[in-house]
Amino acid sequence: MSIVLTDLTKWFDNNLVVNKVSLEVTDGELFVLLGGSGSGKSTILRLIAGLSIPSSGRIELNGRDVTFLPVQSRGVGFVFQNYSVFRHMTVGENIEFGLRIRKAHLKERRQRTEELLDLVGLAGLGARYAHQLSGGQQQRVALARALAYYPDVLLLDEPFGALDVKIRAQLRTSLKEIQRQLHVTTILVTHDQEEAFELADRIGVIERGHLIEVGAPQELYHHPCSEYVATFVGGGNVLIGREEQGFIRLGDARLPFPPGAPVHDPGSPVRILFRPETVSIQTEPFSEAQKIHILSQGQIVKRIFTGSSQRVLLEVENLEGMRPLASRPEYGQRVTHIEALQPSDASNALDRAWEPGSKLWIGLKQFHVLEPVSLKVLISSESAFTQESAAQFGCQVARTAGGNATVVSVVNSAAEAARRREDLETLRQSWISDLPHLETRVRQGDFNTEIVHEVQEGHYELVVLESHKGGLMPSSLGQQSTVRRLLAASEAAVLLVRKPHPRLERLLICTATGEPGKSDVLFGARIARRANIPTTVFHVLSPQASPVDRRRVERHLSQAQISLNGMGVENTIKIAEGPVMETIVGEIERGGYDLVVIGAPNLFISRPISRPDLAAQIINHAERPVLIVPMIQ
Amino acid sequence: MTERTLSHRQRAATLLPVSLLLLVLLPLLLMPLAAIYIFAGSGGWQTFVTSLSQPDAQFSLRFSLLIAFSTALLNAVLGTFAAYVLSKYRFRGREALSVIVNLPVAIPTVVVGTSLLLLWGPIGLLGKFLDPLGIQPMFAPAGVLLAHLFVTFPYMLGAVKPVLDELEVTYEEAAYTIGASRWQTFRFVLLPALRGGLFSGTLLTFAHSLGEFGATVLVSGNLRLRTQTAPLYIFAQFEAGNIEAANAVAAVLATLSFTLFFILLRMTQQPRRSAE
Repeated sequence: MSIVLTDLTKWFDNNLVVNKVSLEVTDGELFVLLGGSGSGKSTILRLIAGLSIPSSGRIELNGRDVTFLPVQSRGVGFVFQNYSVFRHMTVGENIEFGLRIRKAHLKERRQRTEELLDLVGLAGLGARYAHQLSGGQQQRVALARALAYYPDVLLLDEPFGALDVKIRAQLRTSLKEIQRQLHVTTILVTHDQEEAFELADRIGVIERGHLIEVGAPQELYHHPCSEYVATFVGGGNVLIGREEQGFIRLGDARLPFPPGAPVHDPGSPVRILFRPETVSIQTEPFSEAQKIHILSQGQIVKRIFTGSSQRVLLEVENLEGMRPLASRPEYGQRVTHIEALQPSDASNALDRAWEPGSKLWIGLKQFHVLEPVSLKVLISSESAFTQESAAQFGCQVARTAGGNATVVSVVNSAAEAARRREDLETLRQSWISDLPHLETRVRQGDFNTEIVHEVQEGHYELVVLESHKGGLMPSSLGQQSTVRRLLAASEAAVLLVRKPHPRLERLLICTATGEPGKSDVLFGARIARRANIPTTVFHVLSPQASPVDRRRVERHLSQAQISLNGMGVENTIKIAEGPVMETIVGEIERGGYDLVVIGAPNLFISRPISRPDLAAQIINHAERPVLIVPMIQ
Repeated sequence: MTERTLSHRQRAATLLPVSLLLLVLLPLLLMPLAAIYIFAGSGGWQTFVTSLSQPDAQFSLRFSLLIAFSTALLNAVLGTFAAYVLSKYRFRGREALSVIVNLPVAIPTVVVGTSLLLLWGPIGLLGKFLDPLGIQPMFAPAGVLLAHLFVTFPYMLGAVKPVLDELEVTYEEAAYTIGASRWQTFRFVLLPALRGGLFSGTLLTFAHSLGEFGATVLVSGNLRLRTQTAPLYIFAQFEAGNIEAANAVAAVLATLSFTLFFILLRMTQQPRRSAE
């Protein structure tokens, strides 16, 4: 193994940039780290090179632990996006710089330089300076310079990012050839999936510091495990249906599970991925002989001619029990869009039949079932009683949300840790039939810091806290409260539980209008859909509201209803007038709701609280679990 | 036809502001400069040479050049080091330090002289401990050097730091990954990139040191044949009424400054041309 990373972690101040990345790159492999900007991919490369020191974890290069070795003694070749060719040196001097540092003889240096100039296709340009070269040529110099001293591994940080498309393609081909020829272990970092597919032996997809999936390009494209990879790599349609008697129910369609598909619980959501090129469309219904899985009927919205092929965008009325994940529907959008890729047709025969507006049958030549996921839930458990409210209610929510939960305790001392571990084990045992995969964890240190770290490291989507631990004052959430910190530092929603609450049968979503309001509705709907419970969407209108305001609220709520219907959630919408707090509490009492969803107002995160906080008031008055949803970007 | 009248009008439009500017500059800059040479030459070549060959005049010019040379050399090292630290390291108080090192530009030179006297002078804060040991930096060449280092420090920094700031971090990092140590990186990668800034900084320091008066007059004690720089000599001779002697040295000083200035001008234009 040339490169072995073990639990590599990097914190920048309070941001987790690289999150327990473990990876093995074999000798001579060209490995591509693919991720969006800010995903931490470049940081991983810099950690391997030694340009940055990891917070924890281990880096091995050729069996040597280099985690704390200085850059100079790691023997890596590094190519930067901005070339960084030394300006006052000629191309030749740049290339031989590494050998000069290593005190190689002049003759050897010259020979190696000539060799490399040949290799990278710059023969005869050794006497030029950087400013006399094009960007592509400069990057070739940088590559030659990084290879000159026979590095153990070659690291390339978006090497083609600053070049135009044509040069980029040329350099890609050269790089692949050179890498094959020299058989040097290489990691390349890029955000360009086309580049990744073309170059990589294997690709690692990274998101928010997490190495999500590693695999060969074909594998990642056709059989990804996670939804992120499915939608990030290539264009794709992801639909969510439900397991039904061994089949996948997607609206009116019933698809079989393909061989090797992950096992799904009865009635659980099933996510299927199909690429646009595997979608068949035709005007007549599909025949048995075609061996095509019939999906539904749809209407052409758009047809885009792209030369060798044409992209057809189809609209399918949002059928009960089917929900598109990619392309994700807009808030309040009723229809599902499906993209199909068809070869372009010179004869124009299909042109008339495929005009926008025409009705077609949609079928799938093949599709792929993604690994089942559930909402990732973190439950904070702070006292020895297994009957404590947060833990019990949290487990209940986790069970309805799919069973992916972790219970964490933060303690002050090692002795306490041992005791807490026993308590948590008891809790785990009591839930074992409902939550077979419940994990437990004990952390030592300051409660606030440890909880925030745990959430960031584990990518939890929902955190359950006992409300006194949430730092709730009688009338407001204090500046430094855990809730505030969590909402600021992660995108997780926070569920505050004050008193034991035995059931989860009715949900109330108190929504504001505008973008934050959409987050509340959508997150609440996820819970409701998983728990299969009726939901009320509620808005309190101030008595001074103008007709314009009223219309905006009505529009917002009717869109909420469309979204909820689309997800198959039984729902009611309600508008009330009056003072906000009292009206909401009144509604909670009347409706007998078990969980109240509210949005995290902006002032919650940045500015000090200037008015009594809604969340705190509701939890103190209504004594129901309250779920605070941050605005999801 | 119309084109010609237009160009005619344009030329007239340019001529007016240019001649106005010249008219303003003439008494302000050009005529005083010319006056030096006219007066220096008015007594004839012979007088000029005799005035220059006075031992005091000779000493003052040589001393000035020596001080300017030492100042430029010392500040090249100190200024580059300061620029490197301020540009490459992140530490608390960096902002404050950046302001402080540039302060000498803002302080009147006479104040600099006074402050040096109050520190190093025989009754100064540190001087009073050195005095019994027989060490007296003030009213000695060392004092003059100290004053000049102080006054010219920001020029070196100002010429080098922007170049360092502009170099991408990856420039250095590339050298590190290749295997160069911090020193090797500085020596082979950063220093060559600083060449231009270093040279113009040095010349600027040299030129300023050559003409320094305010601080020098206080710390040197104006001792002839010991601490008297050329500007001090010129001033002293003027006061004594020896216009020729003063003029001769002034003409030499002015010529030196012009030469330096033109080299500097060429220098600052050249790298820009070659970079394109």
